[in-house]
Amino acid sequence: MTVREHELVLPLTESAVRSLAVGDTVFLSGEIFATAGLPTHDRLLRCLDGDEALPFDMKGGALFHLGSLNEEAEDGSHHIIYMNPTTSTRFNGHMPRLIEGLGLRATGGKGGLSAESAEAMARLGCVYLSFLGGGAQIITAAIRKVTGIGWPEMISHYRIARIEVERLGPLTVGIDAHGNSIYDLTNARALENRSAILARMNAARAAIGKP
Amino acid sequence: MLYACCLCFVTLGGEEVRMPITDDMILEATQQLYSRALRKVPEDTKVALAEAMRRETNETARRTLNMQLKSAELAERKDAFVCSDSGVPVYFVKVGSKAELACDFKASIRKGYEILVETIDPPLLKHVTNPLTLERGYHGKDMPIVSYDFESGVDYVEMVCTPKALGSGRWAALELFTFPTLEQIETYILDVAIKAGAQHCPPVIMGVGIGGTFDHCAGLAKKQTLRPIGKKNDDPMLAAMEERLTDAVNALGFGPMGTGGDTTALAVHVDYSSGHGFTPVAVCFNCWINRRTSVRIWGDGRMEWGE
Repeated sequence: MTVREHELVLPLTESAVRSLAVGDTVFLSGEIFATAGLPTHDRLLRCLDGDEALPFDMKGGALFHLGSLNEEAEDGSHHIIYMNPTTSTRFNGHMPRLIEGLGLRATGGKGGLSAESAEAMARLGCVYLSFLGGGAQIITAAIRKVTGIGWPEMISHYRIARIEVERLGPLTVGIDAHGNSIYDLTNARALENRSAILARMNAARAAIGKP
Repeated sequence: MLYACCLCFVTLGGEEVRMPITDDMILEATQQLYSRALRKVPEDTKVALAEAMRRETNETARRTLNMQLKSAELAERKDAFVCSDSGVPVYFVKVGSKAELACDFKASIRKGYEILVETIDPPLLKHVTNPLTLERGYHGKDMPIVSYDFESGVDYVEMVCTPKALGSGRWAALELFTFPTLEQIETYILDVAIKAGAQHCPPVIMGVGIGGTFDHCAGLAKKQTLRPIGKKNDDPMLAAMEERLTDAVNALGFGPMGTGGDTTALAVHVDYSSGHGFTPVAVCFNCWINRRTSVRIWGDGRMEWGE
């Protein structure tokens, strides 16, 4: 099996998003949004409710579950010292509505999202990209510039960082815009194989006389 | 100071020099262990990742394993963090019965951690969380988390640091059985692995504890995540169980970072304790970066750093 590779420029068009399939490798260049905060996701939902204004217009954008140590320099510019993904399933309850309400073309982090998000992504034209957990140096190396920090009053990894990246990746398409999710597929396969695996373990124990 | 003097036998003329282990040494160890753990993936883990890459049949999985090795190498070369989640500070202290002590472990480990937070470059993110208010910072009740133990017949203190992050920390589980069969025990362990699925930054190191009591069993499991990879269990019954479970978990197919493949666990390590007929079974995970560092400290000032 060969893996298809894509060099993509942000913002992504719907057709670029629709051309991706689960298992493909992607490198991204352009502007992304990054946050790892559960309170941030709560607050984004409140923005959609009209309680406050969004810090950035993310329409057509890419919002990733990435936590960063960001610092403000004396001249007011922002810098990211390191950045790395967090577990996306923590935001299962938020993402279906955020994908639609913010108008996202891409989201991602690690561990995937639930079937409800996959359904929203297929309907609206959005993909989930899997980042390497424990990949701080690879991911941070793609940062060219921090172009904005939303909600600076929050702790570092909860803020929304707007970042210009160059060849951010390699990222794996975990959920495509056609309703395919590696996470749902592998999970279904694991549950399918469970009884066969248990039978093999029983046989291995029986072979050495340990029931 | 009087205490220290009583234990200090510096003799002229080539006789044995005996000095106690001091607070300064514990301060130093506490800081260094944490800082080192954040920057370097242990050698045995890198070897296991490379071996897994050779065996992998899934192309995406091979690429991910290769990227994991590259990430480890980069962090090591740049003396930078492998992951942004520096976790919460967790230490294990083992005191040798022949070690001479002139230190207050609790106070020095706390102080050492406080100094680390102030001085570490790059700074840590705020991960220590009050579970009742969800407020986050660097400090909090019972931080750092330290467990103490003794070792007979040795003249050193061993300290281990294993920073615990959310990604793998949240999938640990424990259940109590009564007079379970091996089949029941192993089925439970497999089901915990299924529930964790793609979530814990695989390939993971799984630690399993069986027996003892509720609290003791969790400790057994945790300590098994710290065991070096590739060393066969001395107990043949446990060695066979570890082999069965490693094959079983890898047959689930979650793969590196959960995007499919043959490598979900680099190792499953099991230990047991005698108990009553009620049998706890505990399972916990270390993510692929497998953060752990150790040091042995002697009274003459030697500090032997390990993984």
